[in-house]
Order: sequence, then C-alpha cells, then structure tokens
Amino acid sequence: MLGRFKRLWDAKPMKTHYDAVIIGGGLHGLATAYFLARNHGLTDVAVIEKRYIGFGAAGRNTAIVRANQRTQENLPLYKEALDLWPVLTRELDFNLMFYNCGNLNLAHSEAALKAMRLQVASAQFQGIDSRLLDAKECRELVPALDISDRPRYPIFGGMFHPPGGIVRHDAVVWGLARGAAKRGVHIHQGTSATGIGVEGGKAAWVDTDRGRIRTPRVLNAAGAYSAGLANRFLGQRLPISVLTIQAMVTQPLKPLLHHVVSSGAYHCYANQTLKGEIATGAHMDPWPNYTTQTTAHYIKHQAEAVTEFLPCLKGLKFMRTWGGLADMTPDMAPIMDGHSPAEGYYLDCGWGYFGFKSSTVTGKYMAQYMATGECPEILKPFALKRFEEHRLMGETAALVDYTANN
Amino acid sequence: MAFTITCPVCGPRDGYEFRFGGEDKGPRPEAADLTPAAWCDYVHMADSRPGVQKEWWVHRQGCGAWFTIHRDTVANQEVSLNLLEAAE
Repeated sequence: MLGRFKRLWDAKPMKTHYDAVIIGGGLHGLATAYFLARNHGLTDVAVIEKRYIGFGAAGRNTAIVRANQRTQENLPLYKEALDLWPVLTRELDFNLMFYNCGNLNLAHSEAALKAMRLQVASAQFQGIDSRLLDAKECRELVPALDISDRPRYPIFGGMFHPPGGIVRHDAVVWGLARGAAKRGVHIHQGTSATGIGVEGGKAAWVDTDRGRIRTPRVLNAAGAYSAGLANRFLGQRLPISVLTIQAMVTQPLKPLLHHVVSSGAYHCYANQTLKGEIATGAHMDPWPNYTTQTTAHYIKHQAEAVTEFLPCLKGLKFMRTWGGLADMTPDMAPIMDGHSPAEGYYLDCGWGYFGFKSSTVTGKYMAQYMATGECPEILKPFALKRFEEHRLMGETAALVDYTANN
Repeated sequence: MAFTITCPVCGPRDGYEFRFGGEDKGPRPEAADLTPAAWCDYVHMADSRPGVQKEWWVHRQGCGAWFTIHRDTVANQEVSLNLLEAAE
C-alpha cells in the first residue's frame, strides 16, 4: 500500500485555444472550472496558475466557514456555500473534513450585542440558524471562556451559529482540481499570465509566459493579484487594497475548544484543529502590502488577545506563524462582474477574508455567468458599478472603511 | 518584518507609528462638472499594482504630519526617490 499513490490529476500540454481561460489556480478559479465542466459541459477550460494550486490564500486561510453574514445580498450566497460542503464531499469523493462545530462570536459591550441582534435577525430571516446567547450560555458552550470582569473587555454575550465550522482547505483545492481535471479541465501550474488581449471590444486571448492562448472567455480570479492584473492588462481600476493577514498555531493540546470562538473587540479568532493545535489569527497590518511576512508586533498582540478571553491558554507556545494576502473592498463585499471593460472578460475578486467560505458557491455562479453570458440574479448586487452609484453594502462591522485608507 | 518610514519632521521611525493614507491620486477633483464616475474614481479606485508607488502617510502617533513617500509594496520597504531617479 505505502508509496503506491496515484496522481490526482495529470499535467496536460498547453493548447493554443480554449473555450475559457481562468487566471488563478486558487479555490475560486478551480471551483469555477469545476462547475463549468460539471454544470455546463464546458470542458475545454484552462486554469493558469503562476505558482502551484493552493499556493495563495487557498492554503493560508484559517479554514473557518460560516453563513452569518450581515446583509440580505450576502447571506443567501454564504448559506448555499455552507450547504455545499457535505454535498461536494460526496460528489468529489474527497474527504473535505467538514467539521460543523459551530461558531461563537463574542460581544464585549451592550452596543456589540445590539449589533448582533440585527445580524441574528437577518440570518434567521434567510433561514440560517443563528442565535443570541448571554454570557452564562457562552460559558456553558465553551467552559474555558473567562466571563468574569477580569478581562479588559468582559464578555456580555455572544452570537452562536451552529451550522458553521471548519473545512480542510487543502482538501478542497485537491478535490476540486481532481474533479475538474477528470472532466477535461487543464490545470497549468507554473504559468503566469502576462496580458489579456481584446479584439473589437471582446476578450480574445491571454498571453502567458508559455505562449498565447486564444479564448472567448477570461476569468480574472487571481485573488490578491487580481486588481493589479486588471490594472496592468486592461487599465481597469478597482476599489481594492491588498493587506497581509497573519495567523498562527500553538502546540497541540488535548480537546479543549469544540467551537470556533471569535471576538471583534479583541480582533481575534481561535479554533482547535483536528490535530489539536489552537489556530488563531485575524490581524491585518493596515497598509497595502504584497509580502506574506509575519511580525513580532502581531504575535505579541495575538498572545495577549487570545489569553484574555481564554486564559487557560497562557504559557502555550506558538509553533508556526504565516501570512496571506487579502484583497479588501471598502464595504467588505466582493466584486463579481463581467463584460467590462471587454465582453467575455469576467472578474471575481475583492473577497477580503471571506474568500474561502464562499469559494465553491461563487464558482458555481461564476461558471453559470461565463457559460451563459448572463449574470445570475444572485450575483447582480456585487457589480463594480455599486461604488459609483453609492450602493455600498453593509458588510462592515461598524461604519469604518476596511481598506487601508481608514 | 522591520518596517521603517521616514517622517519629514521626525526622521526614520517605526512603521506602526504611522497610518496609511492611500495611493497618491493627485489633487482632489473640482466640484464643478464632477461626474459620479470621476468622483468614484477619486474616492474608491486605486491601481493596486504590486511594486513601487507614491503614497500618503500620516505620523499619527508622532508629529501628525501628512507627507508622501515612495514604497515598494512587494518588499514592503520605503524607496529613496534619489535611487529611483538614478535607476530611470
């Protein structure tokens, strides 16, 4: 048995023409490729990835999934995404290790609790299980929580979202890649896009460092680099700031946390992985930055924050720390658009730190968009035009600008 | 990751003392004949190209001065303008 692993997919030679070219071998790109082939019979698809699939945010996020977003436009999308994990696990025949342990979001003030009331009501309106808890109930759920008045920001209560949890992000990358490749999609790793060609107002080709590919459909799903590519290739300007987000894991512990616990006030979330490590993160240095470097400043902050509400973690050692890139929009909602500035050019970016939990469902609808040319109803509110029309979405926790201009 | 920014008043200081103020987009557009598209472009849109850019910073935990620097966003390092000009 040992050592007799079969490759999940085979590298195919690059052709000079495809029906669709997807720039970015991250989760959004792979999911779109998968659904193009599965739902629309569009199997002549190439995924172009500069590094290797899952190199970027797909493999750097903290794997948390949930559907308790804030606005009526975003909620249905995330609900469908959450419902998709068990379906895809079966369909891809790949264990995505979906662990629906539930998410507990802590409130440290009366005002925060009030905001949660609205968020809970919005979720419930969409049929999403989300509840308010008082401090005692929070502690019953997570006995390690300190609900005394010792922390600087004592716990007033929380928002519990039982169907959320964690998914193994690498498994999603591999599962989708295998599923797409099996249906005929070509995945070209180590291939960077160097230009997008437009002929008569229509997307016509993608230039790569391995040659030109002619195609009538191009999807820009390059994650943190999508805004820069759009600007360089097409002169498109986007309301995006790319920030580095950091995360870390502690040494492994016996089972202690059975839920994802997060706190907006402490800027911190923590969950125990299936290996026993406490994975924690959330901080972003608030200036545009394309490095994935980590900072001592933040490691100290994180240790202080997480041990305020989980004091039993004091004295633990961090084992690893890493950074990833998040493309932030002013309203914390993504940009999904098409046919501008060229027909057949599609855009899926601006996901900030929600890109993992939304990846599969976005792939499904972007595939529909690309196959039919018509924007699905559910994606219409996410058009770039909303910034010009002052219809920004209220996905921010407070009235702040989440770009680095704040 | 050491990150230092040179304040025109206080000299080189730790990056965490400063607050980023956006890409340099030139002067604020005139209110007369301003279209929603032009205003949106000024308020929200950015080039977001990895590499050297001219950008605004404020020394928030220092003297409070607003100033522009050139910074390479790929290395996250301030770039001296003299070096830039020499390279061109």
